Amino acid sequence: MDNDKVSLHKPTALAEEFMKIPKKERGAINFLAVATFFLLITPLLSMHRVIDFMIFCIFAMSFDLLYGYMGRLSFGQMLYLGTGAYICGLFVKYVNGNPLLAIFFGIAFAGLLAMLLGLIIVRTTGACFALINLAFNHIGFFLVLSPLRPITRGEDGFGVIASKLGFLNLGSRPIMFVFVLLCLLIVFYFLRQLTSSPYGILIRSIKEDETRVRFVGYNTFFYKWLTFVIAGAIAGLAGSLTALNYNYVNPNSMDVHANVGVVFACLIGGAGHLYGALVGGVIYMVISNFLAYYIYRWEMFLGFSLLLIVFRFRMGVWGYIQRLWEYLATRKGALKFMKKEAI
Amino acid sequence: MLQIKNIDVAYGHAKVLHDVSLDIEKGQMAFLIGRNGAGKTTLLKTVIGLLKPQMGSIIYEGKEISNLPPEEHYLKGLRYVGQEKKVFGNLTVRENIELAAFASREPIDTSLEKVISIYPKIKDFLKTKAGQLSGGQRQILLVGRALVGDPKLLLIDEPTQGLAAIVIEEVVNILSRLKEQVSAVIVEKNLAMVTRLADKIYILKEGKVAKEIRNKSEISDIKGLEEYL
Repeated sequence: MDNDKVSLHKPTALAEEFMKIPKKERGAINFLAVATFFLLITPLLSMHRVIDFMIFCIFAMSFDLLYGYMGRLSFGQMLYLGTGAYICGLFVKYVNGNPLLAIFFGIAFAGLLAMLLGLIIVRTTGACFALINLAFNHIGFFLVLSPLRPITRGEDGFGVIASKLGFLNLGSRPIMFVFVLLCLLIVFYFLRQLTSSPYGILIRSIKEDETRVRFVGYNTFFYKWLTFVIAGAIAGLAGSLTALNYNYVNPNSMDVHANVGVVFACLIGGAGHLYGALVGGVIYMVISNFLAYYIYRWEMFLGFSLLLIVFRFRMGVWGYIQRLWEYLATRKGALKFMKKEAI
Repeated sequence: MLQIKNIDVAYGHAKVLHDVSLDIEKGQMAFLIGRNGAGKTTLLKTVIGLLKPQMGSIIYEGKEISNLPPEEHYLKGLRYVGQEKKVFGNLTVRENIELAAFASREPIDTSLEKVISIYPKIKDFLKTKAGQLSGGQRQILLVGRALVGDPKLLLIDEPTQGLAAIVIEEVVNILSRLKEQVSAVIVEKNLAMVTRLADKIYILKEGKVAKEIRNKSEISDIKGLEEYL
């Protein structure tokens, strides 16, 4: 095969080789890759930070499902993260210290809130969608800050100490690390299955042209709503893990301004790819955690980065990694290395 | 099969269709011809549920459908192929077909077979992004996708617009083979195609049905039909 004349219409040789691997094994390779990545960066960054990174990546994946796959930009995804955090924390504080139950209720309430608000929100598109989410996030923030103060303790917040559950002691950092990594892998697996199924094709089509999807027989309202609920529930998981990780919940869990972070993460990493959400999540967290040591107004750096991405590098880091991979795959040397043939 | 009775359709205050009536029987291939702005595309969009008639009714298989949303029309067997040849460009050809298969609850292999049977060359492009297809390939993909599930009536808007002659011939051959399988209402300006395939022709003029032609000899009279374009 003459690699220099590989048609744009055909998948690259490396992609073809990869696709020959049975699906289950490909899935396992993906998991190993994700787990290995986070394990590798732990010695460099510290376990505590990597736990933060992983929780943020879960949140980024929830946002990417809405924005990258379905094309709906939300400025209020923190509402669901915050809901998960508060419900998890309140459950542990007032009902039962069982962390798994607390996480379950955190996810359930976040999902339920998304179900109710989604009935209104997904009727909108574009700027309306973005801003109505922002509005609800503001409302949620205000609620936990003031009217619900007797329960949530307002801006003081409250401590969250979960009980041990057999060997599951989330107070131990290594166990917390493994637990969060497992949650990340489960979310990654779930979203990977979802986005590579006909459902995934459908939401990508909605992103492209919703009217045409209706012509193909779909009630697009239902599928938009369902996606919104799933994204909200996953954000709730991220919130629950945040509460258990920090052993503390306060209104910052629902901070409206923090929505910017997840938007940046998906844009930096590459929207519409789960790996992009992961890569972008890590990059954003590295920038926000470490750059402040070196640059006084590090947020300005983010602003310039966003301009660069929007005007010049729209595919994001993962998009360009894919492109580079495909470029390398078309070169004779790369293919011969794969097939172990002499030149 | 499809009876359109005295419909008026407007965009805001601008009335586009006036008291339009059509009758399509099962197994018929009817063509709508007329000048630009006559209301042909508006008529198809109204039948498929994208527009609502201000007056009149649309009866399909004995049931009123004018108030149903487009997705319900699809599930009843109506298939719309628009003028713009818009495929889902970021999906592969296979995924475009899979989308329709999933909606129709039809196994993907069956759907692929249907599409490949009308255009075997599409097998080479299944993994290609649909946005990279040529205009003719997209048109054929759209017609093929419309055959997924259990289609009963195709509504096709200018299938040969912007296509090269050789591709037009391919499209005409495909539609000719489909005549035995489904009924169709086709908007078209290519009179050679119209005269070759039509069982009935409706001529639209300024939003009204100016003439209905059923007679074979009149259908074959291209010069006579040209006066209406």
